[in-house]
Amino acid sequence: MILADKTWQRLRRIPPSYLVFAALLLTLWVLRPHMMNPNILGIFIRQIVPLGILVLGQLLVMRVRSIDLSGGGVILLINYYISSGLFPGASMMTFVAMAIATGLVIGTFNGVMIAKRRVSAVIVTLAVSIVLVGFVQYLSSGKPPGDVPAMFAALYNTKLLGIPTPVLLWIVLTLLMSLFLARTVFGRAVASVGENLSAAHFSGVAVERTVIVAHILAGLMAALAALVQTASIAVGSVRVGLDLPILAVAATILGGVVFGRGEGGVWGPFFGVLSFALLFILMTTLGVDEPGKLIIQGFIILLAAIFYGVRSAKP
Amino acid sequence: MPPSSPDHPAQPMKPSYLKWLLGQGSRQGLWSLPLFIALAIALGLSLTTQQFTSTGNLFNLITQAMPLIITAIGQMFVILIGGLDLSVGSVISLSTAILALGGPAYVLIPAVFLLAALIGAVNGLVVTRLNVHPIIATLSMQYIVLGVTRILRPVSGGTVPDIVIASVSGTLLGIPLPVFWGIAVLLLSWKLLHGARFGLHLFAIGGGIASGMEKVAHNFGVAERRNILLAYVTCSCFAALAGVFLAGRIVSGDPNVGLLFELDAITAVAIGGTQLSGGVGSLHGTVIGALVMALLANGMNLTNMSPFIQTTVKGAILLLVVGLQSRKKMGL
Repeated sequence: MILADKTWQRLRRIPPSYLVFAALLLTLWVLRPHMMNPNILGIFIRQIVPLGILVLGQLLVMRVRSIDLSGGGVILLINYYISSGLFPGASMMTFVAMAIATGLVIGTFNGVMIAKRRVSAVIVTLAVSIVLVGFVQYLSSGKPPGDVPAMFAALYNTKLLGIPTPVLLWIVLTLLMSLFLARTVFGRAVASVGENLSAAHFSGVAVERTVIVAHILAGLMAALAALVQTASIAVGSVRVGLDLPILAVAATILGGVVFGRGEGGVWGPFFGVLSFALLFILMTTLGVDEPGKLIIQGFIILLAAIFYGVRSAKP
Repeated sequence: MPPSSPDHPAQPMKPSYLKWLLGQGSRQGLWSLPLFIALAIALGLSLTTQQFTSTGNLFNLITQAMPLIITAIGQMFVILIGGLDLSVGSVISLSTAILALGGPAYVLIPAVFLLAALIGAVNGLVVTRLNVHPIIATLSMQYIVLGVTRILRPVSGGTVPDIVIASVSGTLLGIPLPVFWGIAVLLLSWKLLHGARFGLHLFAIGGGIASGMEKVAHNFGVAERRNILLAYVTCSCFAALAGVFLAGRIVSGDPNVGLLFELDAITAVAIGGTQLSGGVGSLHGTVIGALVMALLANGMNLTNMSPFIQTTVKGAILLLVVGLQSRKKMGL
């Protein structure tokens, strides 16, 4: 049987995102060779950094069998702080500190509600997002707030070592997360909670604390994503980032991390996000219209999930 | 007392009336609190505004709430088996788009329901046969259906068959037709949930999944896969029905009319005390949940409050209601 074959088994352990990424890169290279320019690709990839950072939090909570849909609300709220002019004269560091504090508070709330109160993670994080979105829209009366301080855009447009700074930030954060999961006790706790909650509990893993910490880190990542997103659009908005959490779930799954299972590690989802970036570049240069993009995106997520679902069925 | 574990947290003893009020140990979940909230909003509105209790406004409320009630009831069937259907919003949009294609009603209306059943069946098959998580399976379906809808109808327009418009805007014996829609939907869903084995089987499957014993219903002779598949088909068809109703109200096809409707439907179901881990929930709770949301919207209109604070209140009620329910399962 081909399914029992060793090589086939090994092939199927590769997260779908690597294959999708390679296939998309090849297609782009064949069809639009002039797009294979690091500068052009860099500009496109820079736009997807907020999603990439959000995915780092999403993969963490998904590995402990939870989900975080509150990222959209967090991004909107932080964008509002910075662009509304509510805090005149605040320095950039103040804004960064405020953003991080917001992310930590919301992450803690999510984590405690999910781990201690045992409320459905979908519902809590959805409700938090609804509350935050409503709150921001109420404060701004539905009108877009003002401009973002110029420093943000200036920093966003810089390059370090030839790489756009936001992309570099994303890579550094991904490296940190990968080290954190591979080298620390917390990383082991995450893996064991995902594998089997009860077994982890009876083996002495502080299950509730692990889930709470995962959500706090996800809140922190949402705050960082919000800062990059705000810098990238340079104006306030009442709609920014609302579809990002769902896209983050999709990219994470494409990267081979499904609720409780994390074979894709951190780099699988990383390439999942890059695949989304490439997909948009490819479809845009090929002139695929909006509906076509949606359909292709849906099919890619579905195929990646089927690939993983079928695999999980038989050990 | 057994030691506390992730699946069996140690819980303080509660007096029995409190247990009943919080819906603990009941298959119906916490529906008394949402009912109280709905009554409180209605009472508050009837005291503070003149228009609320007028017949016109009450019928208006029913008409406004109907698409959400229909979609939420459909969503409840899927949530009862521990699933989730994120594609209902797209199915609603697709239904309005198909009705606005132009053509005889006796072709278009069956086409809407056939297509919805097909979408539900694909969702169900992907979930049951290919073992894809429901959130992911229905999310990708949401994208695909939305894409198809935008190809059919990039911007809102077209006209829907007269009979669809008449069935929503007309009156019978002086009573607006949406009231009859409501009665029909309630009868149908009551029949499915309590008047047929289907509903009982859904509770059995969901209860097993919620308590971590996925095969228990199967072992007692319930055709798990078939019933799960049928739950997704039912959910999609209810969404299509909501789409037909909406098409009758807006008189045209609109690719964005169902946008984010899935989140509203899930919110209504959750407010009504149905638990997302499966096996616990009720039809009346779901209707109450949808009514709470409709009352909020109606009340904000009548009292000229900012429509945006309504979103926040909705989220806060959702947090309050689910925060008061206890369950064993941690996570999704």
